[in-house]
Amino acid sequence: MPKLTIDGKEIEVEAGTNLIEAARRLGIEVPHYCYHPALSIAGQCRLCMVDIEKTPRPTIACNTQAADGMVVHTDTERVKQSRQSMMEFHLINHPLDCPVCDQAGECWLQIYYMKHGLYDPRMTDEKVHKPKAVPLGPHVMLDAERCILCSRCVRFCDEVTGTGELGIFNRGDHSEIGLFPGRDLVNNYSANVVDICPVGALTDRDFRFQVRVWYLDTAKSVCTGCARGCNIDVHVNRRRPHHAEGRRVARLKPRFNAEVNAWWLCDVGRYHYGFVDGPTRLAAPARRGPGGSTEVDWDEAVSAVADALRRYPPEQVAVLASPQMANEDLMALRRILEARGITQVAFDVPPATPAEGDDFLLRADRTPNRRAAELIGLGGDAASILAAARGGRLRCLWVFHHDLLATGWPSSEVAEALGRVETVIFTGTNANATSDRAHWVLPAAAWVEREGTFTNFEGRVQRFRTASEPLGAALAEWDLLGRILAAAGGAPAGSRAEHWFRDLSRSVPAFAGLTYQGIGDTGQMIAGATSTGVPTPPGRRAPVTA
Amino acid sequence: MMTPSDPQVGATTSANRPPTKQAGLADPAPTIRFSGEQLAEVRRLQALYPDRRGALLPVLHMAQDTFGWISLQAEEYVAGLFDLSPAHVHEVVTFYTLYFQQPKGRHVVAVCHNLSCYMAGSRDILAHVKRRLGIEVGETTDDGRVTLQSVECLCACEAAPMAQVDERYEMNLTPDKVDRILEGLR
Amino acid sequence: MAETVLMRNFERGNSHTLAVYRGAGGYGAWEKAKAMEPAAITEAVKQSNLRGLGGAGFPTGMKWSFIPKNHTGPVYLVVNADEGEPGTFKDRYLLERDPHALIEGMLIAARAIRSALGFVYIRGEYVQPWRRFSAAVKEAYDANLLGQGFDIVVHRGAGAYICGEETGLLSSLEGKKGWPKIKPPFPAIKGAFGQPTIVNNVETLCCVPPIIDRGAAWFAGLGTKTQGGTRMYSVSGRVKRPAVYEAAVTVTLRQLIERAGGVTGTGRLKAVVPGGGSAAILTADEIDVTMDVDGLKNAGTMIGSAGVMVMDESVSIPEALLVLARFYAHESCGQCTPCRESTGWIYKMVHRLVEGHGHKDDLDTILDVAKRGAGTTICAFYDGAVGPYISYIQKFRPEFEALIRK
Repeated sequence: MPKLTIDGKEIEVEAGTNLIEAARRLGIEVPHYCYHPALSIAGQCRLCMVDIEKTPRPTIACNTQAADGMVVHTDTERVKQSRQSMMEFHLINHPLDCPVCDQAGECWLQIYYMKHGLYDPRMTDEKVHKPKAVPLGPHVMLDAERCILCSRCVRFCDEVTGTGELGIFNRGDHSEIGLFPGRDLVNNYSANVVDICPVGALTDRDFRFQVRVWYLDTAKSVCTGCARGCNIDVHVNRRRPHHAEGRRVARLKPRFNAEVNAWWLCDVGRYHYGFVDGPTRLAAPARRGPGGSTEVDWDEAVSAVADALRRYPPEQVAVLASPQMANEDLMALRRILEARGITQVAFDVPPATPAEGDDFLLRADRTPNRRAAELIGLGGDAASILAAARGGRLRCLWVFHHDLLATGWPSSEVAEALGRVETVIFTGTNANATSDRAHWVLPAAAWVEREGTFTNFEGRVQRFRTASEPLGAALAEWDLLGRILAAAGGAPAGSRAEHWFRDLSRSVPAFAGLTYQGIGDTGQMIAGATSTGVPTPPGRRAPVTA
Repeated sequence: MMTPSDPQVGATTSANRPPTKQAGLADPAPTIRFSGEQLAEVRRLQALYPDRRGALLPVLHMAQDTFGWISLQAEEYVAGLFDLSPAHVHEVVTFYTLYFQQPKGRHVVAVCHNLSCYMAGSRDILAHVKRRLGIEVGETTDDGRVTLQSVECLCACEAAPMAQVDERYEMNLTPDKVDRILEGLR
Repeated sequence: MAETVLMRNFERGNSHTLAVYRGAGGYGAWEKAKAMEPAAITEAVKQSNLRGLGGAGFPTGMKWSFIPKNHTGPVYLVVNADEGEPGTFKDRYLLERDPHALIEGMLIAARAIRSALGFVYIRGEYVQPWRRFSAAVKEAYDANLLGQGFDIVVHRGAGAYICGEETGLLSSLEGKKGWPKIKPPFPAIKGAFGQPTIVNNVETLCCVPPIIDRGAAWFAGLGTKTQGGTRMYSVSGRVKRPAVYEAAVTVTLRQLIERAGGVTGTGRLKAVVPGGGSAAILTADEIDVTMDVDGLKNAGTMIGSAGVMVMDESVSIPEALLVLARFYAHESCGQCTPCRESTGWIYKMVHRLVEGHGHKDDLDTILDVAKRGAGTTICAFYDGAVGPYISYIQKFRPEFEALIRK
């Protein structure tokens, strides 16, 4: 393992480590644009120059591997001047778009310019003009003038997705990122190029002009778009509620996890948050009768549901749980079922159109917590519950999240079933055709509005944290279920999500020994499960090179 | 002298941009397909290189010779022959100056404007050619006969001023010689 | 005068044919080389002090010896016939008048580096030379000179000066844009198609048969202590007889200009570009310099491709710089930031200067920007641009300042 010295500090690294990474481990930042640990070395931006003893000129750090005895300086006058020069070169043709550019506040031209720049621009000639505001597929917007031609996006489409849609056309300062004319950027990971673009050349169409990034707060979380549970950061806008049409969740960004999703997030998951601030959000408990829907308070709703559970014989009560519920929610539900002896419970309602996974991260199972629903013992035969309802054998049906009228079941059968059940209870985040037919509607907090854990398809338990307040009176399901359990004479595990997780880890062997602390921000495997890590990116299986 | 913002700076020379005078140029939508013999030649060329992608430039020359110029359709077609993404073929076509992305005239006159030719009066020769043809640099004559380019060093400086006319180097140009050459282009 | 080595066959009728080449003793060196060990061939080339004649002037034998000894896969020999340096036209003559000399040089070099496959990359504009050379290759195949352990693939470029940069050429050969490759790894370790590759200029390889034929010592003796042999100087511009002139590398610039008939125009010499457009310019009192690699390096310029462009008093240096600034802006491949952005900007500034709209700080800005970019790029293209940017302004500053009215 080569041992080298950087800015006077010694460090030992694995063979093959480049100087940017070696310096990073010492907490030393070597500014760079084109380098990205997931992508091939381009050596194009020329910003990462460092001084290496016995080398006459500054050398790029990204393409230099640590060697034994190497002595590196990242803070010499020469290196500082080199950075200044590179910043000037980068800004020669860059448009002064900051006031209208979404990247402002998280732009690496801004950041490095403030740290390393000349401050006295002397470029007074006409800049090169290129296309602006060019849509690249449904999610990405290109501004070719802002592009610093680091080629990260091109390499991403070649080496990660293997789709090769992007290229750098022409030459000299007329070089331009673009798609093949007439084609579009439509791979499942298109918006990742926005993440890796250091500047505002590639921006998210969904986020365009919504809110300034310095108003955003962030919380670590997990994507709920499929069973992989890619790690994310949820960015919420709390401080400027009059921006972004009042949407609280501004965007989701991938969070690095070496075992789950690396640096990436698929487009399906990335945009799977519209429902949180959408118009169909349920904000208050409601009772629904022939006269319509009436908002009630939680006390009323809780006692009405608890009462129904007490009144009906358990064999006439069925529950359609959901793999969208968190571990804590499922555990609380199990306690209720146990307390009342209810055995008819299932979660596997067939979707209207079965989804497909792709050859990288996206799973066919578009729910985040199926594995846990199985392990916690809530798996049953959903079809027989439907049949029981249609056959008039159920007096109470409690539906979590599903819109049963928009599933793979014939909607006429579902309508018939719902019509024959005396008390239909719906718990979920958003209203749908099923909640419209429920007698009691209990609003659930969305996952970004609370904390908890999901168990991914491999058995990795991952924490998601609160990013925003619940909307209106919505409650986390473990919370409203806990209250119902208490009202029905049972004992809830506690007043925090973690209490329910402890209950889970003590009761279900797969989760034994797991704690919130142990799960941390990278997750923990359940007993007996092994992680297969991040799948090989399609681009590395069949390289498409520029 | 060209202005600094002229399209010539930065590779896709102005001849590769849409000529303003287009009458008489290529068919509107020719079928982009190589013959069986040509496909065999493509395979033969591909087999010469350790990675068949090495044959891309030669095959693009073939495409240009066959179809007259390299349309986006032709780029997609060639991309298919190499299992490359069209974007990467487009990169190559837009990078090199000899590939025409728009229909060109039956003849191409490329006048060198680099240092020794400049010293030998290339500007006057170019002005003379423009007058005779009645077009600007990058344009094609109305009858589709000649496309005019102004290019970098052709490495025939001993015979400056000079131009490349189709495959030939026409050296030691004078206005009279230019006239004779242009007349010979049908 | 000096020996005629490289141009020895030029005046023969049909010099490009195998029959004439053989008749003049051609392929005799290859016969000799076939009986030599590869290492011995490389040693001979090392001893000859042959230096690359394409521009970089790197010792050829040393370059050949960089091929890893224990490499078991293919080794490629790539010939750089992408002549594009302004003021240079020697390779064109060699391709048209003596293509077999190149083929013979390739055979010998290939044996030395143990290559079974050679590529000749000819610039796309050189159509006649390409046809000539391809015909010679066919003759060589028909005569079983080729195809007996060494094959040649002739490859046409498509118009990009940067493909004359050795790794830009390799990228283009691989079917991509001519983007030079980041180094390390160097081509001898990982070159064309990922394999060890030697890239040599046309003229350099044409020196190899005479070296083997007449001996390394003879070749070395023609030149200086650090560079052997003769080379072909392309002389053009304001001279009476622009042409290619062969001379031993000890020739001076003054002697070359005299051989070319002296200065035309006003008859008074103003400046000379000694080594192709990328070389720093020399003033009229700097021409008593030997035209070898080290001689010109010590004079603050370079021999490069030996493209000599002569300027008389009537040539405007700012306009000459404008011509070259436009060239560099046009030919920049765009891969790395300093070159991509500043070649265009500097062209705009020089254009403004020439048009009379220069600002008083422009000259210092150009000099400073050029200095800041020099040595920072992926390849030496930008350093080639810096040669004229800095030397024209530094050596003829008053002429530039006169254009700045305010």
